[in-house]
Amino acid sequence: MNTILKASVFVCVCLWPVYGAVDYTKFSHSTPKHKSACNTCHKIPTKDWTKASAFPDITDYPDHDACVSCHRPQFFRGARPPICSVCHVKTSPRDEARFAFRNPASKLQFTIEFPHDRHQDVIALRQTNAWRSNLLAHAAPQQNFNNCTLCHAPALAVATPPAGGWLDSYAPPAATFKAAPSDHSSCFSCHWKSQEPVATNCNGCHKLAAPYTAAAMPTRISLKFMHDGGGEKKQHVAECTTCHINITKSATLRGLKPDVPITSCTECHNKDGLRQDLNTELAALDKNRAFTCVYCHTSNVGKLDAPASHYLIAQRPPLKRRDIK
Amino acid sequence: MNRLLLVLIALLLVLPTTISHSQTQDTPARQSGVVRLRARVKLTDSAPLRGLARKRFFLIPGSLEQNRALVDAIERQPLVTRDCYYTKNSASPALIAWLKEADCESVYCRDVEQDFIAGPKVVPEFATAFAASEKEFGNAATARKWLTTNVPANLRDGFYRDRKGAIDALLKQATQSTAVQSVMTDRNGTAFFTDLAPGTYVITNLVPTEVGQTLATWNCELQIKTDDLAAEKAYLISNRKDRLVKCVAIEKPAPPCQ
Repeated sequence: MNTILKASVFVCVCLWPVYGAVDYTKFSHSTPKHKSACNTCHKIPTKDWTKASAFPDITDYPDHDACVSCHRPQFFRGARPPICSVCHVKTSPRDEARFAFRNPASKLQFTIEFPHDRHQDVIALRQTNAWRSNLLAHAAPQQNFNNCTLCHAPALAVATPPAGGWLDSYAPPAATFKAAPSDHSSCFSCHWKSQEPVATNCNGCHKLAAPYTAAAMPTRISLKFMHDGGGEKKQHVAECTTCHINITKSATLRGLKPDVPITSCTECHNKDGLRQDLNTELAALDKNRAFTCVYCHTSNVGKLDAPASHYLIAQRPPLKRRDIK
Repeated sequence: MNRLLLVLIALLLVLPTTISHSQTQDTPARQSGVVRLRARVKLTDSAPLRGLARKRFFLIPGSLEQNRALVDAIERQPLVTRDCYYTKNSASPALIAWLKEADCESVYCRDVEQDFIAGPKVVPEFATAFAASEKEFGNAATARKWLTTNVPANLRDGFYRDRKGAIDALLKQATQSTAVQSVMTDRNGTAFFTDLAPGTYVITNLVPTEVGQTLATWNCELQIKTDDLAAEKAYLISNRKDRLVKCVAIEKPAPPCQ
């Protein structure tokens, strides 16, 4: 018995630095004890939401009670308890300042479950006025061409450059991308109560995931295409499904690919008497197999073999660069 | 010895992934077909043809015969019009007219403008919901934006949910229910089914679409041949016969409300 006890103590002492040391500066929703009902900690809406939001929302971190109920020892450990730094800018009892909620510097812990098709079903109508679009934070009044603009207004902010800077020094203007809802305003306006998943049913939309950092901008094959572009007449502004032909199929955001067939582009960009942008670049490629297609693409894409679909539009058999003499 | 074992295990775990990736990259892309669906209808014989906007269509693998149970179920299902649903649920004539004006199935489908909250065009359900929202949220702007949160569920989206429930139940009877594609037409009545393998499909709207005073159901067989894979295949459907129309709807008069 004594031997077993000693062995257990030995194992515990040896393994403590590996398995027992908890970093209380990091909060994880994956910790088993943190997986209870969301409203155990988050009050919906936050008590003083009017100070921070135009609509009832979760605008701040949970009160101390939520942590102290289990973490009393960590709360009162020394003059600067590490656990305070989860929410507070300074770990000092004299400073209440907290990080923005949610802290933009911390990794995301949830993905969003969103039945895209069902939302298209119920709001699928050409909109005639702007107020509903303005539900979106920061959404400026703009052309409400159809229902998609309810959630996907033109992005107003320029995308953050990736680490290492923009490829080919091409910084996509704000008009390149559409925005997607980034807060609760566009959800709660319908799902506040009674329409499930309601505001108190966090798990209805937020699914626990391995921590991740959201992409700064969508992945694009044709980075130089601008949604709000198309010359002075903004000829790119069309009904979204004109180009995004698969978008009404998607029942979820997972694997949702806003893929656009090249025919959507070449209706104008490779048409006799109009423009010959594709043919021009294929001709340049014929002359120089190292040619990089730059009209639509940055060089990471433009130096690849032109896909068969491009040659099909030009009514030519597909070619690989290595086969070009 | 132990380290060697660990390295071997790691190799065994990594190797199949590497092989499968390299195989994927070398395999030429599978050719698949695209159907460009165009739905055009006439509300009356004298009316012009127009695109059937914002309606969902389904492409179900298999022939009509293979999907016989589904097709029979589609034809057997009870027909309930939007007006009848809302009348049965005690909606005001003003709400029914508001929904009808923009062919809406639920209150979510278009803005509730100020005119419909107060004044001569008021929709009583919206006025009541606005008053409750104003009390709840403390300001008129949020009250109007969040108005639908105080509309009773049966009047809010009950009709849509009933139809969705019927669609989900019907789809379970499809021979290959997991391979069903569903798309919604744009404002011109156009939609695309993509990534189609050669074969036979049934194109259907599953639940009848209200076209004027009738209920239209499409159930047609569509062939995708190997020759169709190179270019998109145009497929016109309508409620009127024409040489270009590939699928004509079976129309039934809208039943009286019970």
